[in-house]
Amino acid sequence: MSTATPAPVWTGAQKLAFRIAAFFFISISIPNSVEWYNTVFHIDWTRLHYRDLYDIARFGSGINLFGDHLFGSNLLGYANWIITLLISIAAGVIWTVVVRRRGTERKEYNTFYYWLRVVVRYRAGIGIIGFGFTKLLPVQMPYPGLGLLNTNFGDLTAQKIFWLSVGIVPWYQVFAGVIEVTAGTLLFFRRTTTLGAILLFGALGDIVYVNFAYDGGVHVYSSYFVLLAAFLLADDLPRLYNLLIRERDTQPHTYYPSFSARWLKIARIGLKGLTFFLFLGVLFYLQLVNFLYDPYKQPAVAGLRTLRGSYAVTEFRLNNKVVPYSPSDSLGWKEVEFEKWSSLSYVVNKATPLDLSNGGGDPQRDVNRNFEITGVAGGRRVFHYYADTIDKVLYLEDKYKAIPDRRNRAAGAGGDGGAPGPADIAATTGRGHRKGREAQAQPRYDAGMEKSPKGSNGKDWISAAALAHIGKEVDQIDPRAASTRRDQEYAQAKWEKRNRMVLRYDTIDGGNRVILSGINERNDSVYIVLDRINKNYVLTESSLQAGKY
Amino acid sequence: MSNTINRKAVAWKGYEKFLFRLFFIYFFLQAVPLDWKYYRQVFSIDWSSLGYGAIFNLAHYAPRFTSGTPGYVDWGILLAIAFSGAIGWTVIDTRRYHVTNYDNGYYWLRVIVRYRLAIGIIAYGFIKLFPLLSPYPSLSNLNTEYGDFTRWKLFSLSLGIVPSYESFLGAVEIVGGLLLFYRKTASIGAFIIAVFLGNVFMSNVAYGGGEEVYSLYLSSLALFVLSYDAVRLLNLLLLQRAAAPNRYRPVFAGRGRRYARLAFKTAFILFFVVLYGFKTRSGYKHAPYQFPTSKGLPGAAGIYNVSEFIIGKDTLAYSKTDSTRWQDVVFENWATLSIRSNRPVLLDSNNSERPGLPDDERDYELEGSAGRHYYTYTNDSVNRLLTLRNKNPHYAGERWVLHYERPLGSRIVLSGVGSVGSGGEGVGSGKDSVYAVLDRIDKKYLLEEARKRGRQGGLSL
Repeated sequence: MSTATPAPVWTGAQKLAFRIAAFFFISISIPNSVEWYNTVFHIDWTRLHYRDLYDIARFGSGINLFGDHLFGSNLLGYANWIITLLISIAAGVIWTVVVRRRGTERKEYNTFYYWLRVVVRYRAGIGIIGFGFTKLLPVQMPYPGLGLLNTNFGDLTAQKIFWLSVGIVPWYQVFAGVIEVTAGTLLFFRRTTTLGAILLFGALGDIVYVNFAYDGGVHVYSSYFVLLAAFLLADDLPRLYNLLIRERDTQPHTYYPSFSARWLKIARIGLKGLTFFLFLGVLFYLQLVNFLYDPYKQPAVAGLRTLRGSYAVTEFRLNNKVVPYSPSDSLGWKEVEFEKWSSLSYVVNKATPLDLSNGGGDPQRDVNRNFEITGVAGGRRVFHYYADTIDKVLYLEDKYKAIPDRRNRAAGAGGDGGAPGPADIAATTGRGHRKGREAQAQPRYDAGMEKSPKGSNGKDWISAAALAHIGKEVDQIDPRAASTRRDQEYAQAKWEKRNRMVLRYDTIDGGNRVILSGINERNDSVYIVLDRINKNYVLTESSLQAGKY
Repeated sequence: MSNTINRKAVAWKGYEKFLFRLFFIYFFLQAVPLDWKYYRQVFSIDWSSLGYGAIFNLAHYAPRFTSGTPGYVDWGILLAIAFSGAIGWTVIDTRRYHVTNYDNGYYWLRVIVRYRLAIGIIAYGFIKLFPLLSPYPSLSNLNTEYGDFTRWKLFSLSLGIVPSYESFLGAVEIVGGLLLFYRKTASIGAFIIAVFLGNVFMSNVAYGGGEEVYSLYLSSLALFVLSYDAVRLLNLLLLQRAAAPNRYRPVFAGRGRRYARLAFKTAFILFFVVLYGFKTRSGYKHAPYQFPTSKGLPGAAGIYNVSEFIIGKDTLAYSKTDSTRWQDVVFENWATLSIRSNRPVLLDSNNSERPGLPDDERDYELEGSAGRHYYTYTNDSVNRLLTLRNKNPHYAGERWVLHYERPLGSRIVLSGVGSVGSGGEGVGSGKDSVYAVLDRIDKKYLLEEARKRGRQGGLSL
């Protein structure tokens, strides 16, 4: 079977260790959540979105039939590993006892060990490539928009600061992505596995530390790759020690099962080819489309060209009374930014509840893409707008909502996603039920637009005429970025409790002055005079920019 | 100290010998300080009060033929010298000596490069292990808009908020460096350092850092050290062939040589690792180098709203666009005061490490940062006078003498005159009088609140 002579007989301890390792590593290489299977099963392969393949690559694993808590704690998320290990030890011991009692114990597990490494290699390789492509085509860490550029450094969370520090250097992000994708690709070949594992161990070891230091929240999933890499390295480390430290002649790893049978050859090449095609070919293309037309953390629809920019607030009237400009006053707007995408950002000197999540995940609708508000304080508010350019009215919705969406659903426990968040908890409380009723009271749907049956004044929030002017947001990105995933999420949009404003905009002096007037989120009338600021930022933008605006 | 024990001397091929000569001259010149400027630095050290800054600078050597920082041009010159030297050496050797191999020479060249690299990387390691390199951001830094920083400054600030991560990075460098001191672990250390510095180099390129050439210089040394074992490693790991170990053993014949070796190695490690380690540790506690250490106005540290502002006889209303009107003022714990206004800032764009500078030349707080003007000041507490000097070299002439009153605990009233001096712009020209009422803001920073309370619970700010 083999091409060389590996250890013909394994010691009892080696065999026990192998049995435990086999249980453990197979358990943590298999998706453990029903949602993952459900998601993968429902993928529309004819109109793919990069997130479809990303979801295949990113899943939680480990044995979670008995929950994810040990002594009442999830041990920073690692309890699942420990539970899985304990069960694996038990299984390994039982296995050993059984085969010894029955007298069917094998002399060695060379072939099994080979296949266990194959499972781990492919799990680690596919997983890290899924992650790496969001950096290689730099969308994981977006370049800050105007609102973020105008936010004080101390008004950001540590997590935000780290994400931004990579976002400002897209070419460096590409470099990090190349490292990850290379490490993953090297794992697909047995000769380069050790090199790939070293690369993976080093790169992800650093990322684990980064996640702990900056409270990045992805420490378990990044540790996962370090663990898989360590397992793959375990084979060659004694050889390296023998060669470099003991300075002795060293034999390489040479045990490979034979693939001479025809069907084996075809199966091997077929599966390997499929992996390459899907996770290096198709995923690259989908990620490129995402980078060009629909960067997943930024709103994808372009903002109004005439409005884009930063503005000083020259005059602010609330219910027809002038509020004089003062940094300490808590009523007036202090500054306004219109992003290149469909967001309006402004600052009020008044505390507001914050969204401290990572602002990632896979929301398709622009209103739910909230990277610009997550981990940001300083009184900043960000609203998504639908623009009726014919009547010159903006329909604005607050990006903040009290009950956030659940993100990375398919990832599940052990994948640093889908941990029960406030949304899941709320579902079992009165608050959640109310939310449910609200959703039920809203049967009508017009693609891409949430509508209330009755606004506070007894009319639709957006009139049918205005809706016709606005058009369908789902179709307002490049057609090449269209996907079933996007269509479905727009189709399933529900009326949510958010702050809303309706503001008319008038531009004067070639857009150097903008006047906003209308009803704010508290149903007060506002009249705001904005004067454009042409600021030269010290921070210089990169030649590489995601999205098409 | 010559020859090998269990190995028959294998004759080197002609091109191998030529390459060795080339590399020998090149790396010898790169690693051994022959530059007279280096010794000027050595002799200017005050050995009685040796600080970590002086040792850092000793370890931060790279030969340069031009003024300013070493660049790739210097490498080119060295390579040209090495190339012509190797040709001359080859000619002489073929005529006279007919050397069969350079096993000994290679060993000693590797020793030189290993030690040079080790102290270079450890010098950086300790100022990260004890997070001096990127300190926690100052109050002024926290109150500067994100877009008002250069990429490099943002890199440093982002590292500064996580001292534990900075320490971790330093520890990796130190471990890599220590492994270089032992022949058998040298390649492992060199590998760790090559990967680490590769990333440092990429960061310097991406963020516009000042250590691009130097980090590549150290990387090249690491790759040279690693190349000794590269073939056997690739054989074993990649090609999956049997690999032969290194069989060369340096022989130190006689007691004298053994002791000399031990003494040299010990002294080297004592000075560049142990002593330097202790110095950086005490420096971290008592003498950090990025921010000044002289005390500021007592009890004044904080950010202040400028409630009232009069320049000459004109009272100016709040404005984010006026270049004269102060928007807010920060008093640091140390004797620095910074003013935010819309007055443009010509950047102080230094981006390389300069530990050991006196207090009034420490400009880290304003390097790569716009949005605020920074002043160092002296406090005459009897007459209640602050004498301000603009720290930015582009506004070196700007001086202010301001009288202060503190009618309330949270209020400071500044009044006095100053001049922006030549070349500056903004607060008028010639003498200006200013009157400003400053009220302390009870500012809560999300950076700190989120750290205290975690990101799980809700937070309003």
